[in-house]
Amino acid sequence: MPALLEIRGLSAGLQGRRAITQVISQIDLDVQAGEILGVVGESGCGKSTLATAIMRLLVPPQVLQSGSIRLRLAAGETVDLLAISESELRALRWRHLSYIPQGSMNSLNPVLRVGRQMMDTLIQHGLTSGEARARAIEALELVNLERKLLDSYPHELSGGMRQRVIIAAAVSMRPALIVADELTTALDVVTQRQILQELAAIRDELGATILLITHDMGVVAQIADRVAVMYAGKIAELGSVHGIFEAPRHPYSQGLIGSIPRASGQRVEGLPGEAPSPWNYPAGCRFHPRCPKVFDLCREHAPELMRQDSGRWAACHLYDDEVAAHA
Amino acid sequence: MATDSATRAIKTDENRDAAGRREIYLYALRRFGVYLFTLWAAITVAFFIFRLVPGDPMNILLGNLTRAEGRQRDKAAEEAIIAQYRQIFGMDDPLPIQYLNYLRKAVLGGLDLGPSFVEYPAQTKDLVFRRMPWTIGIFTTSVLLAWIAGTGLGALIGWLQRSRLSRLAVVLSTLLQITPVYLVALALIIYVGYSWRLLPAGGPYARHLQPAWTWEFISSLLTHAILPMLSNIIVIGAGFTLGMRALMISVLGEDYLTFARAKGLSPFTVLKDYAFRNALIPQVTALAIIVGATLNGTFIIEVLFQLPGLGTLFVQAMGLRDFNTMQAVVLFSIFAVLTLTLIVDLALPLLDPRVRRTA
Ligand SMILES: Nc1ncnc2c1ncn2[C@@H]1O[C@H](COP(=O)(O)OP(=O)(O)OP(=O)(O)O)[C@@H](O)[C@H]1O
Ligand code: SF4
Ligand SMILES: [Mg+2]
Repeated sequence: MPALLEIRGLSAGLQGRRAITQVISQIDLDVQAGEILGVVGESGCGKSTLATAIMRLLVPPQVLQSGSIRLRLAAGETVDLLAISESELRALRWRHLSYIPQGSMNSLNPVLRVGRQMMDTLIQHGLTSGEARARAIEALELVNLERKLLDSYPHELSGGMRQRVIIAAAVSMRPALIVADELTTALDVVTQRQILQELAAIRDELGATILLITHDMGVVAQIADRVAVMYAGKIAELGSVHGIFEAPRHPYSQGLIGSIPRASGQRVEGLPGEAPSPWNYPAGCRFHPRCPKVFDLCREHAPELMRQDSGRWAACHLYDDEVAAHA
Repeated sequence: MATDSATRAIKTDENRDAAGRREIYLYALRRFGVYLFTLWAAITVAFFIFRLVPGDPMNILLGNLTRAEGRQRDKAAEEAIIAQYRQIFGMDDPLPIQYLNYLRKAVLGGLDLGPSFVEYPAQTKDLVFRRMPWTIGIFTTSVLLAWIAGTGLGALIGWLQRSRLSRLAVVLSTLLQITPVYLVALALIIYVGYSWRLLPAGGPYARHLQPAWTWEFISSLLTHAILPMLSNIIVIGAGFTLGMRALMISVLGEDYLTFARAKGLSPFTVLKDYAFRNALIPQVTALAIIVGATLNGTFIIEVLFQLPGLGTLFVQAMGLRDFNTMQAVVLFSIFAVLTLTLIVDLALPLLDPRVRRTA
């Protein structure tokens, strides 16, 4: 079965005075229908840039450099989100792809009532205001909120409720794909767990596909099916959550998973050093200054994301057969 | 569990409407208290400033009169006259008593601010009331027009941030905003009024007319008002344009704008409901602030265009050291500005749901 979303060669950067600084480089990623795909990585590795590029919501100085993003529509045809016109894209938004931005706390307009903000989109997409209201209420119920909230202003809601409202808004048109960026970051642990459960329930009920962006391996472990580990604007490793947690291949994934506190309490060795910013991505493998297994080739040649066994992909010379043969 | 916390939050909502309404009343009440206090403080300051100016206004006044009439100064007679005047104007009492009398008359005596020194026994109140319609008319109309034009234009060039046209508009408005209003007025008088003779540039209406409800008089009144108002509109409007542009640009960077675009709303809806509406709230506050800061500009305009408003009255009174009249003009200006500001502030909660909480 072809993927619901097919990202190919996606690069985006920041327009400087003279040149563009690349933030995400040549991202290839397939999102399968019905799955929750986690994208995980340290702060600043380009997760939000990836999400906004997919949504085509980059704002200057952010610029799209190359790539295609094919979304499969219900009818079986596909569109390239980066190639269609603004108004064609507008028609797809919310119906086919929804967005839960990072910092959802501030994503509601403080001077409009919640109901108005949930319904204006539905009305724009052709629903009558009665239908829109019914849809909005239905969506609120999916996240365990009461219909009364429609008459509230955002500042009257708690952070968790606001986050739920955003989720409800995003699922109100029953989109095929939801891109959710740092859904639970600003919330307390209990609310976090509740919201993740609600999200999983939404996936089951609506059959939605979710691209879940987070820096929290725990969140990925809790609800994702597959995970893409990102480092310095590239995908380091991709595979099933189970597979990667059991046996991470890429030294970065190994470090990330090693730094999760275990049940036994002792911390396994964390990652030394800091993640590079886009202005000083290292040459060769971008992870090489921090990699415990670095060897000569790593400093000169960037590894490609290569297919391993059983749906696992990794970008590391250690798993590059040709290199291994030479070594 | 999720439902629990959500329902608990919603239970409080029954009380919320009532509480919200009470908060608005409290806000209005507090705001009105501040208004009364400011008014009192302004009256007091105005009173003492004019009394503490060195030199006896009576002496100056009498000196002016006798000089004007070219008479020999008779010391004894002069002193007698001055003493009588001082008594009439209640100037022999100690300052605190004068102040209390003054307050009592102003508040209980129906805004009795005393007679004019120069046009005695004319009441300064009547002088002010006679002139006030000109000032209020020109001032409020031009500030409102400037606000409307500036808000619209500023919203537009803020929305079209990066276009060349909007950059040009920014440069132009910046230049106009820093130009003193009297230079703009003079330029209009010289070019539009005298060189090109497009519009009348002096006086309230054509000299040969008498005030009447005739079309001829009204149209003359209006054409005479265009240039004075335009001077105000150009300068104040440029400020409002820049202010609104800055507000729009900051709103455009907000997260809820990205979300509005992500929802697939049409650009017009995003502009109208998410950007403009939000930028409008601080822009209304700006109106309240500008109201106070631009009244003096209107006074200057009145003098330049020879309009019989409060500004001209003030300048005349100043020439004759008619302190009572000057004081009355100042008080009425303060009163007008504070009242307009109060109205704007009270209108704010209607626009911004958050003010009810934070006020
Ligand atoms: N508008 C911008 N202006 C300047 N720098 C930017 C901008 N957008 C992104 N960057 C930079 O690009 C890099 C990637 O940013 P991005 O927001 O995609 O990271 P992230 O992985 O989402 O991080 P976080 O976990 O903190 O959200 C960062 O170094 C960031 O500083
Ligand atoms: S390519 Fe080299 S430096 Fe990069 S992760 Fe693999 S071993 Fe480490
Ligand atoms: Mg981010």
